[in-house]
Amino acid sequence: MGSGTNGRILMQFLRTGGLLLLAATTLGAQTPATSLEDEVMRHYQAVLRVDSTDPPGNESGVVNYLKEILEREGIPVQIFTLEPNRPNLVARLKGTGSKRPLLLMAHTDTVNVDLAKWTFPPFSATRDGGYVYGRGAVDNKHDVAVGLMTMLRLKRENVRLDRDVIFLAEAGEEGTTRVGILHMVNDQFPVIEAEYCIAEGGGVSRVGGTVKYASVATTEKIPRAIELTARGPAGHGSVPIENNALTHLTQAVSAAATWVPPVSLNETTAAYFKRLATISTPEEAERYRAVLSPDPKVSGPADAFFRKQEPSHASMIRSSISPTMVQAGYRVNVIPSEVKATLDVRTLPDQDPAAFLESVKKVINDPAVEVAWAARDTRPNAAPARLDSEVFRAIEANVTKHYQAVTLPTLLTGATDMAYLRAKGMQCYGIGPALDREDQSKGFGAHSDQERILETEFQRYARFYFDIVQDIARARQ
Amino acid sequence: MRKTCLLLVLLATSLSAAQTPAQPNWTAVEEETLRHFQAMVRMDTTDPPGTPPGGEKPVADYLKQVLEKEGIPVEIFALEPNRPNVVARLKGNGKKKPLLILGHTDTVNVDAKKWTYPPFSAERNGGFIYGRGTVDDKDNLVGMLMTMLTLKRQNVPLDRDVIFLAEAGEEGATRIGIQFMVNQHYDKIDAEYCYAEGGNVTRVGGKVKYASVQTVEKIPRAIKITAKGTAGHGSVPLEDNAVAHLGEAVGAIAQWTPPTRLNETTATYFKRLAQVSTPEEAARYRDALSPDAAVAGPAQQYLRKNEPRHWSMLRTSLSPTIIQGGYRSNVIPSEATANIDVRQVPDEDPAKFLELVRQAVNDPQITVEYANPNSANRPPTPTAKLDSEAFKALESMLTKHYSAITLPTMSTGATDMSYLRQKGMQCYGIGPALDIEDGPKGFGAHSDQERIVESELYRFVRFAYEAVVEVARAR
Repeated sequence: MGSGTNGRILMQFLRTGGLLLLAATTLGAQTPATSLEDEVMRHYQAVLRVDSTDPPGNESGVVNYLKEILEREGIPVQIFTLEPNRPNLVARLKGTGSKRPLLLMAHTDTVNVDLAKWTFPPFSATRDGGYVYGRGAVDNKHDVAVGLMTMLRLKRENVRLDRDVIFLAEAGEEGTTRVGILHMVNDQFPVIEAEYCIAEGGGVSRVGGTVKYASVATTEKIPRAIELTARGPAGHGSVPIENNALTHLTQAVSAAATWVPPVSLNETTAAYFKRLATISTPEEAERYRAVLSPDPKVSGPADAFFRKQEPSHASMIRSSISPTMVQAGYRVNVIPSEVKATLDVRTLPDQDPAAFLESVKKVINDPAVEVAWAARDTRPNAAPARLDSEVFRAIEANVTKHYQAVTLPTLLTGATDMAYLRAKGMQCYGIGPALDREDQSKGFGAHSDQERILETEFQRYARFYFDIVQDIARARQ
Repeated sequence: MRKTCLLLVLLATSLSAAQTPAQPNWTAVEEETLRHFQAMVRMDTTDPPGTPPGGEKPVADYLKQVLEKEGIPVEIFALEPNRPNVVARLKGNGKKKPLLILGHTDTVNVDAKKWTYPPFSAERNGGFIYGRGTVDDKDNLVGMLMTMLTLKRQNVPLDRDVIFLAEAGEEGATRIGIQFMVNQHYDKIDAEYCYAEGGNVTRVGGKVKYASVQTVEKIPRAIKITAKGTAGHGSVPLEDNAVAHLGEAVGAIAQWTPPTRLNETTATYFKRLAQVSTPEEAARYRDALSPDAAVAGPAQQYLRKNEPRHWSMLRTSLSPTIIQGGYRSNVIPSEATANIDVRQVPDEDPAKFLELVRQAVNDPQITVEYANPNSANRPPTPTAKLDSEAFKALESMLTKHYSAITLPTMSTGATDMSYLRQKGMQCYGIGPALDIEDGPKGFGAHSDQERIVESELYRFVRFAYEAVVEVARAR
C-alpha cells in the first residue's frame, strides 16, 4: 500500500459507490456519499466542540445546534426541560402509522475531564492519524451525530416510512437521569413512546484491527449497593481487641469479595456464549461451551478462568459483588466503634434481591456485621428485549452486511437508560461503532483521557445505523 | 508499765503529728474535687483542636485561676497561644530534689453522635461520671490539682519542691506540650521523681484486685498497609480488587499472633499477679510465660479474648484502626490503605518485626511499611527503679488505700513519661481504680462512653495526695 490516504479514499469510493448504485435503483434521489461523510463529520466535530460535561451538566449548546440543523431541514423539534440548561430534544419524522414508532436515542452530556491529562484538548475534536479525539467521541456524541444524520437523510431522501422515527437527544445520562430519561419517561412519555428503540450499549469488537464480533445489548444487570456496617467497642489501639469493628468489617469485605455467587444463565447470555464459541479459537470455544453446562464440574473450570482472565464474562453469568469503598476510623490510636464499607452489587435481571441479600449474609456470617441494601441510583427491573424481533433481525442483517461479523446478543453488566424504556415495555437494543479492543487498556476508551474513534469506523457506523433505521421503518409497499 | 506505755504512745503520736500533717476535711475535698473535675470535663479540649480556636487554654486558665486564688504562683508556657502548659510550684526546704506531678489537659476527639451522655456533659449517672477525658487524663489532672491545693492549705512542710505540670498536647501534639517543656523549659520542671498517668488499680467484679505502677512503656508506631490493584468499573468484579485485598490483609494481621517477648517488668508483673489470683488464673499467668508453646498457647488465647491488655503486654501488638479506599460506589479504586496501630515492646527490632508482618500478610499486591517516621518518635526509655523512695511511697499508699499488691507494669500505651525518663527522671505511672470489665464493654479511655466510678475518683485523690506527702514531706 503506497499511500494510506489514497487507499482509503479509493476504498470508500468503491464501497459507497456500490451503495449509491443500490440506493439509486431503489430509493431515488441521493446525496453523494463523500459529501454525506463530510457532513456527518462536520456535525460530529461541532457537537464534540461543545463542552457538555456532567457534572455540572449543560447540554443546551448541543441541543441548540441540533435544533438549528433539524429545523433548517424542515424537521420539527420539541424541547423538554426540567432544569435550566438541561434540555432534552425530540424530533419526529412521521410515517404512515401502519406500525408503531421507532425511537433513536443518544445522550448529549459527557463525563467530565481532567484537562491536564489530555494530549489533544478534550473539546477540540482534533483529527489525527485517522482518529477523532475528544470527550464524548465514543460516549455518546457519535450517536448524537449519526442519529442526527439519519434524520436528515430520511427527510432529504424523502424515505417513506411505515412507522414514525423519533430522535431523542437526552440530557443527564451520566449521573443525572432525573433531568433526562426520568423526566422524559415520567412526564413526557407520549412524545417518545415507541415499539422499539436503538441506543448506546453495544458495539463491534476489533482485535488487532480485524472485526471479531458485534454485540447488541438486549438486557442489563441492575445496579445496587450493599452497605456493611460493623460495630464493636471503641477502644485504645494499644490494646488489641478481638471484637475490633474494623477487623470484622475487613473480614466481611474479604468474605464477600472471595465468595463466588452461583452461575445463572438466561436466553441472552446462553445465545451470547454459543455464538461467541463459533468465532473463537478451539480452546476458547471449549470454555464458552463449557460454561453453559449444567454440570458444575464442566462449567466450574471455565468460570474460574473467566474470573481471572475475562472478568466481564464472569460478571455476565452471575449477580456479582465488587467492594468499592471503605472509609473507617479517624485516628491511628483509636479503635472505632462503627465502620462501614460499600459493595457494588450487580444483580441479574431475574435475581430476587431479598434472596441475594440473604446469601451475602450467610457468606459473611458475622453477627457483628450488618448487611443491608444501600440507597443508590438504581434502575427498574425489566424483561430482556426479544431476539426474534424485526429490529434484532435488522441489526443482525446489517452487522453481516457492514461488518461481516456474527451478532452476539449481550447482557450488559453496567446500567444504561434503556432500562427505563424497557420497563415501559419498549424493546430496546444497544448498538455501537467498532472499537479496537486494545484501545481500552491503552487508555483511549470511553471516560478515558484520550477518548477517540477511528474516522473510518465512525463513517461505517453512520452507514450501518442509517441502514438499520431504514430497514426497520421504511414503507414496505 | 501501763502509764509508761500510754506516755510512749502519746509521745509517738505527737512526734508523728509534728511531721505528719493534720488530716484534711475529706468530705470538703471530695465536693471540691467533683466541682473542679466537672468544670474541666465540660471544657472541650480535644486534640486535634475542635471548634476554633480550640486547644487547652480553657482548662489552663481555669487551673491558673484556682491555684492563684489559693496563693500558689503559676507560670504559663505556650508555644502556641491556645495551647498553654501550666506550671505551679510549692517550695520545699531543698534538702531533696523536686517531685514533679503531671497531668495532661487535652483529650482525644469525639464522635459526638455516638455518646449516650454528651461527651462534655460530665454527667453523673449510676455512680459514674461520663465524659471525654474522665479517665484520660482529667482524673489525674484533678488529682494533682487537689494535691497542690491540699498541700498548701494543710501547710505541709516539704523536703522537696512539688511541681505541678498541666501539659497540653499529650494526645498527638507533644511538640507543643512535653517536648516544648523538656526542650525549652526543662529547668521549670526538672525533678528527681515524677508521678503521672500510666498506672491504675484494677477492679474485677467491683473488687480491687491489684494496683499497677507503670515503670516502662511500649513504643507506639504505626504501620501503613497499601493495596494496589486494577481500577475498574464496579459492574465487573476483578480478582485483584484493591479493597478486597486490603480486607484480607487487615484480617490476616488481626488474626496473626506476634511472638511473645518478655522483659523484667512484665515477668515480675505476671509472677506477682499470679500471687493474688485464683488458682485457675494463677496457672494461666504462669502458663502464659512458658517457653513451651503447647503450654503458653491456650493460656495466651484466653488472655487474647478475655484480658486483651495482658495479651498486649506479652508482645508487640497490632490493632487495625483506619481503613480508607474508594470514592464512588461504582468505581473499583486502584489503591486502598489501612493504618495499623503498633505497640512495640522496648527490645523489639522494628525492621525484623516489619518483615514478620509482611510474612503474615503474604500478598504481592500489598505493601507494608511503617507510617510516618514520627510514629517512632518517642525514644525507648530506661525502666524506672523499683527500690526508689517514690516507688516505695506508692506501694505503701496503695496498700493503705486499696489493700492491694503493687505490680510494676509495662504500659501498652505511650505516655509523656518517656520524654522525662529520657532526661534521667524516675517516673511512675499511677491512676484511679477502673473496672476491668469496662474496657471490652466500651467504657474505657478513648471510647464513646468514657467514664469513671465517682467514689474511685475520690479514693484516687486521697491516695495521690498521701503518696505525694509521703515522698515530699519534711522528715
